[in-house]
Amino acid sequence: MMEQIIHVQNLKKSYKKRKTKEVIQAVKGISFSVRRGEILGLLGPNGAGKSTTIKMICGLVKPDSGIIQINGINNQEKRLKALRHISAVLEGNRNLYWRLTVRENLEYFAGNRGFSRKAVTEQVDELLDEFQLKGKEKELVNRLSRGMQQKLAIAVAMLADSEVILLDEPTLGLDVETSYEVRELLRKVANEHQRTIIISSHDMDVIQDICERTVIINNGEIVTNDKVENLLKLFDVRAYSLTLGNLLSDNQQTLLKKKFAIYQYTPDTYQSKLEVELAKSEEIYELFDILKLARTPVEAIDRKTVNFEQVFLKIVKGEQQNEKLKSS
Amino acid sequence: MKSLNLLKANTRKEYIELKRYLPNTIALLLTFYIIFLAMFAGIQVIGDPSTQDANIQFVIVNYIFWYLSMMVVQDIGWQITNEATQGTFEQLSMSPMGVWRILFARLIALVAVHFLIVVFLLYLSMFTTGQWLNIDVISLLPILISTLFSMFGLGFIIAGMSVVFKQVQAFLQILQFILAGLVFVPVSVAPILAFFPIVKGVDLVRGIMIDGITLSQVAFADYMILLFNAVFYFVIGLVFYLNCEKVAMKKGLLAHY
Repeated sequence: MMEQIIHVQNLKKSYKKRKTKEVIQAVKGISFSVRRGEILGLLGPNGAGKSTTIKMICGLVKPDSGIIQINGINNQEKRLKALRHISAVLEGNRNLYWRLTVRENLEYFAGNRGFSRKAVTEQVDELLDEFQLKGKEKELVNRLSRGMQQKLAIAVAMLADSEVILLDEPTLGLDVETSYEVRELLRKVANEHQRTIIISSHDMDVIQDICERTVIINNGEIVTNDKVENLLKLFDVRAYSLTLGNLLSDNQQTLLKKKFAIYQYTPDTYQSKLEVELAKSEEIYELFDILKLARTPVEAIDRKTVNFEQVFLKIVKGEQQNEKLKSS
Repeated sequence: MKSLNLLKANTRKEYIELKRYLPNTIALLLTFYIIFLAMFAGIQVIGDPSTQDANIQFVIVNYIFWYLSMMVVQDIGWQITNEATQGTFEQLSMSPMGVWRILFARLIALVAVHFLIVVFLLYLSMFTTGQWLNIDVISLLPILISTLFSMFGLGFIIAGMSVVFKQVQAFLQILQFILAGLVFVPVSVAPILAFFPIVKGVDLVRGIMIDGITLSQVAFADYMILLFNAVFYFVIGLVFYLNCEKVAMKKGLLAHY
């Protein structure tokens, strides 16, 4: 088993609204761990509490209660020591000095962590090469494209020489090509530089593509903490798309409606489409029993593949429905 | 060593920005010079001719100190306000060196970078007025350093306020008049003023530059007051800033504008 580098236990944070003085519980006792070298996706709808969680891990927000350990160091008791092991890109290009050049930014931030210019020269050169910023090193940041600014912000975080890098919306506002480049960079950062990465993003393609595991937060609570692969499987195996050679009878449609909560029927004289989600995999037999009633020919069966965006929406919506049921 | 690297990085940044935005720096200098000329003209036109020379010398020293205090105390407030808006302040807050050390490095860097401008302004003022003051570096240096520490203390207080309240621009505008008050009002008006930040330092500097006294002629009590002010205001400022940082972290203000 890989060693845990971040350990979050029973973390709570509430804020008081300025005008109404109403107390909002942003984070309600969440616990999770991140293993060394892992790429973790921290997801949730807007206002779920993920940014507050990230900022508490970064030592920017003090939790009301709970423990955050970074490389075994409690970040509330020894904040500065814990910060040695962590760096972050929280506001993307806004985290840079726009009046300084690419190289000056890298050197300045390294200096702010106590590194001399001389000590980081080689590393700066390597990063400029790796992040394809070599030709732009003397360019002022405000003259760079958004994609380049984003790459530079990640390079700055890399130069911090910390084991953990936190990224909030690393591909926000980037075009498809640059988003892909940033994704590849992050993968490289994790694999070749052995860094632990925590990504918070609404871009589910990025999460599905590079994260090994996701923690989904909703209403300040963790609703899922599992591998991306497992979540995809979980939702994938139960959804089927059937191509039928006939129309379904009224009786069959009534039975389907009764039996399966989520199904979609698109009638067509030659090729009808039936999409069914099964609560249990054994329910497939009952589906075939219904089709057998009118000897409906089944021309093809496809297991519907779900992408991570659908999985995320289902988890979050399911959780919201549960909340509604609880409150009613 | 790490602290030295931090200081070097911040001095370099201040220097780069000052050099890169040279027209802005020149405009700042010109504004200061024009205001000085207006004061000089005022003394010549409506001032008492018998005390004209003394008044001009008094204005030169005070005016230079006012410039320095504004650059140090006010600028750190502007920097934090701007950085919080831009989004770079949260990066500073994540430095394992601690924000207070970065701010301290910046305060020193501001003094170092603006020192050349201060010297230039001083000689320009003396040249313009024809009043050549006593520039006794050996005597001036320890007094200046002690005074700078109380200025840094004020800088930390302003920094703390900026971290918590963010929109302190209006206060920063008022601050320049408070600083002018501290610099221009002589201790002789009320002895208690000696315990206010900057005041005693400027008073002693005036003694050296205008009256030509040396370090050995400065009373022991004056040294003590100067030293007390330096330590007291620096510690008060730092403690105030660290508490403001705690409040900002608790309320989640460190990263938000």
